[in-house]
Amino acid sequence: MLLAFVWLAPLAGGILLWTFGPQLRSWAGPIGSALVGASFLATCALWGSATVPGGLHVPLVSWLGGWNFGLQLDRLSLVWSLIIAGVGFLIHVYSIGYMDGDRAFARFFAYMNFFVFAMLTLVLSDNVIGLLIGWGLVGLASYFLIGFWFDRPSAVAAARKAFVMNVIGDVGMMFAIFLIVAKLGTIGYADVFAAAGHALDSGTVFLICVGLFIGCAAKSAQVPLHTWLPDAMEGPTPVSALIHAATMVTAGVYLIARFAPLWSASPEAREMAGVIGGLTAVSGAVLGCVQWDIKRILAYSTMSQIGYMIMGVGVGAFTGGVFHFLTHAFFKAQLFLGAGIIIHALANEQDVRRMGGLRTRMPFAFGAMLVGVLAICGVPGFSGFFSKDDVIYGTLASGHPWLYAVGVLTAGITAYYMLRLLFITFFGAYRGDVEAAALGITAQTSGPSTAGHHAQEEEPHHHAPAGLMNVPVAVLMLPTIFIGWLDFGEGSPWKRFFHSFPGFDAAVTTAAMPELASTGVVLAVVAAGFALAYARYGTPAALRDAVTRLRNETLGTPPILVHAYYFDAAYEAIFARSARALGGCFDRVVDPHVIDAGVREVAISAEWLGHLLRSFQTGLVRTYALGVVFGVACFVAYYALAFGVSR
Amino acid sequence: MIVAPENYVALSAVLFTIGVVGVIARRNPLIMLMSIELLFNAANLALVTYARAWVNNVGHIFAFLVITVAAAEAAIGLAIVAVTFRNLPHVDADDAAVLKG
Amino acid sequence: MITFWILAILLIASAVFVVTAKKPVYSVVGLLANFLALAATYLELQAEFLAVIQIVVYSGAILILFVFVIALLSSGVKPFEVGPDRAPRIAVPAVLFGALVLAGIAATVVGANTAALRGAAGVTGDANAFGSVADFGAALFTTNLLPFEVTALLLMVAVVGVVLIAGDEGPAGIVRRRKRRSLERESIVKRERAVR
Repeated sequence: MLLAFVWLAPLAGGILLWTFGPQLRSWAGPIGSALVGASFLATCALWGSATVPGGLHVPLVSWLGGWNFGLQLDRLSLVWSLIIAGVGFLIHVYSIGYMDGDRAFARFFAYMNFFVFAMLTLVLSDNVIGLLIGWGLVGLASYFLIGFWFDRPSAVAAARKAFVMNVIGDVGMMFAIFLIVAKLGTIGYADVFAAAGHALDSGTVFLICVGLFIGCAAKSAQVPLHTWLPDAMEGPTPVSALIHAATMVTAGVYLIARFAPLWSASPEAREMAGVIGGLTAVSGAVLGCVQWDIKRILAYSTMSQIGYMIMGVGVGAFTGGVFHFLTHAFFKAQLFLGAGIIIHALANEQDVRRMGGLRTRMPFAFGAMLVGVLAICGVPGFSGFFSKDDVIYGTLASGHPWLYAVGVLTAGITAYYMLRLLFITFFGAYRGDVEAAALGITAQTSGPSTAGHHAQEEEPHHHAPAGLMNVPVAVLMLPTIFIGWLDFGEGSPWKRFFHSFPGFDAAVTTAAMPELASTGVVLAVVAAGFALAYARYGTPAALRDAVTRLRNETLGTPPILVHAYYFDAAYEAIFARSARALGGCFDRVVDPHVIDAGVREVAISAEWLGHLLRSFQTGLVRTYALGVVFGVACFVAYYALAFGVSR
Repeated sequence: MIVAPENYVALSAVLFTIGVVGVIARRNPLIMLMSIELLFNAANLALVTYARAWVNNVGHIFAFLVITVAAAEAAIGLAIVAVTFRNLPHVDADDAAVLKG
Repeated sequence: MITFWILAILLIASAVFVVTAKKPVYSVVGLLANFLALAATYLELQAEFLAVIQIVVYSGAILILFVFVIALLSSGVKPFEVGPDRAPRIAVPAVLFGALVLAGIAATVVGANTAALRGAAGVTGDANAFGSVADFGAALFTTNLLPFEVTALLLMVAVVGVVLIAGDEGPAGIVRRRKRRSLERESIVKRERAVR
C-alpha cells in the first residue's frame, strides 16, 4: 500500500497542478515539492522490506490471463527510487526559486511531478510492459519539459528531436519485448529470468540485448543516438538537472542492471555495450572541451559519465556502474543547480566567455561548483573518486585493456575541461561588459541556448526568498563529498548491499595490475589534465589575457568539433530531409487529391443518387400510373412464367 | 360452346391494354376516366366468359357489382375533376403536379 | 364464330377511338359504341340480364354523366389540352408494359385447361335458364344478398361524397360570397380614390 502511495503521489500532484494550476499559482511549487518529498519519505520507510532478497512485491492487476502487472521494490529499484524522489524533491524546492515569476509556474510543477511519476513507473514495475510504459511516459515528460518555453522555436525543435530519437529507442525496446513475450510467454521479471536460462538460445538472448540496448542508447544519449542531449539544454535548468543528469538519462543504466541475468548470458552484447559506452565517454569528453555554453559543457559531461556507467555494466562491473550512477546523480545535480544560480543571477547569461571573476562576486556558487568539479574529476576523498575507480578497475579486471585505456584517458580529459570551466567562469576579471565580437562571439560560434531563457516576468508579486535556491545546493554538497565512502574497500557496505542480487555476480578475471596501482595511474592522468587546464587558463598571465585567448580559441576550434562530428548534419541529410519531403508530398498530393477527393466523391455520389431518386417524383399522375402498370406487368410475368405456359 | 373461352379472354386482355395506354398517354382527365371505364369493362368480359364456361352464376353477380362500383367511382371521379378544374384555365392533368419533388 | 370476330373488331376499334380521339365528346361517342358492342357480346355469351344492365346503367347513366361534366368544363373555356407536355413520349413505355401484360395473360390463358376448373366452381342455378333474369335475381337475393346490401350502402356513400365534393355551399356560402363581393367592390373604390 505504501508502495502504491510512493508511486501515485507524484501523479496526483501532476493532475492536481495541471487542473488547478491557474488557481493555485504560487502554491503549485510547495505542493509539488511536498508530494515528491512525501514519496521520498515513504520510500525510506520501505527500506526494510525492500532489502530482503526478492524485495517488496505488490501485485496490482492481472490481465489477459497470465499477464500480471505490479510494483516491485527491490534493492535496485530502491536505489533508483531514493534518488528520483530525493534529488527530485531537492530540485523541486530549487525550482520554486528558479522559476519564480514565470508565467507558467504551475504547469512546470505539474510536468515535473508527472515526470517523477513516470520515472517511478519505470523503476517500480515488476514486468517488461510496465517498464515500457514508464519508458514512454518519461520520454513524453522530457518532451514537455524541454519544450516548456514553447514560444521559442529552438526549444520546440529540441523537444521534438529528443522525442523522435527516444522513439527510435522505443522501437528497439519493443522489439526486444516482443521477443521476450513470444519466446517466454510471460512478462514479469522473475518469470522471465527464471525461464531465460533454458528456454532461450544465445542468439535470441543477443537479439533481446541488442534491442534493449537500442533503447538504452536513445534514452541515455549514447553514440549514435546522443545528439538530442546537448539540444535538450533548451529546457529550464532544473529540468536539465533532474532529467538530463540525474534520472532519466540513467534509465538505460537501470535497464541493463535490471536485465543483468540476460546480459550475463550474452558476452557479445556486453562487449557491444562496453565498446559503445567507452566510445561515448571519450567522444563526449572531447566535445566538452570546446563548448562555450555552461549548460552544454555539463551536458557533454553527462553524456561522457553515462558512457562510464554503461561501460561499467557492460563489462560486468554492475555494482560499480550503479554506484557511479548514485554519485553522479548527486554531483551532476549539484553542478547544474550551481550553474542555474549563476545563470539566474547574471540575468540569463549562459556563455562562459562573458563570465569570469565570479569567485568573489558569488562565493557560494563557486563553492558548490568547486565541490562538484572535484567530485566529477575523481579527486580522492570525494564521491566520484570511489565510483570512477570502481568502473575503471572493473574494465581492467574483466579483461578489457583497451576499454581501460579509454576510461583512463577520459578521466584525464574530464579533469581538463571541468577545470577549464572553473577557471573561465570564476577566475580572472568579469567580462560581462566586454564587446561580444572581442570575445569571438558571433552568430556562428554561439549555440542556440546562448540566448538564455525567456524570463516572461509578470507584474511584481510575492517573490520566493532569494536563499531558496541555495538550500538544495547546500544539502546536495553533503552526499557529493561523503557518499563515496560507502564503496570503500573490498567488503564495502555497497558491495554487501548488492550481494547476490540476480545477475550481479559477473565473472571477475585476474587483473593485469592490482587495484591500487590502477588508481595511481588514473590519478596521474587526472593530475596531468589539471596541469594542462591550469597552464592554459589558470596562470596569472592567462587570466590577464583572457579576452584575447578566448577569442583565439573560439576562432581556432576545428570545425569537426564545432559541428559535433557532423552527426547532426548527417541525420539531417539522411533522415530529416527525406521525411520532410515525404510529408510535403502527402500534404500537396495525397491529402487534397486522394483523400479529399475520395470523401468528395462519396458526397457527390450521394447527391447524384438523390437526384436520381428525385427524378421519379414528377408530380404527374400519369407517371405514377405507369409505375403501377409496371408493377402489374411484373406480377403477370411472374405468374405466367411460374404457373402458366402449361402446354 | 362454339367459341372457346380463350378467345374472349384474349379480347378482354387487348381491351385492357388499350385502356391502360389510354390512362397513361392522355392528359385530359375526362378521357383518362373513360379509359378507366374501358378497364372495368375488359374485366367484366373476362368474368362473364368464365361464368358461361363453368355455368356458374357468380360471375354474373360479380360483373353486376363491378358495374355498380364503376358507376359510383365515375360519379366521384367526375365530381373531383369538376371541382379541381373549375377555376383552372386548362383541363390538363399535368397541371395538378403540386406533389412534384 | 363470325359474330365473335365482328364484335371483336368493333370493340377494339371503338376502344382505340376512345383513347385517341381529339375531343372528349368524340371519345364519349366512341365509348357508347364500345358499350353497345359489349352488350351484344354479353348476349352472345348468354348473359342477357347483364347485357341489359350494361346498356341501361353504363350507356344510359354513366355516359350521360360524362357528357354533363364535359359540358360543365367546356363552357366559356378555350380548347382542352393546352400547355406543354411534361412527360412526352410516355406512350412508349406504356405500350411496352401493356404489351407485356397482354403477353403474360395470353401465355397463361391460351391452351390452359379451363374445363378442369369447372368442377371446382360448381354449377349454380338453373342450367336451362342460365343468364336469365329469374336465375340472376334468385342468385342475387339469396346466395349473394350480403354483397347486394353492401353495394347499396356503397352507392349511398358515393352520393354523399359527390354532394360534399362538388355540391353547393348552402346558405352559409351565399353569405360568404356576398361578403366577398362587397369587399371586392370596396377595394376597387379605394384604389380609384387613391389614384385621383
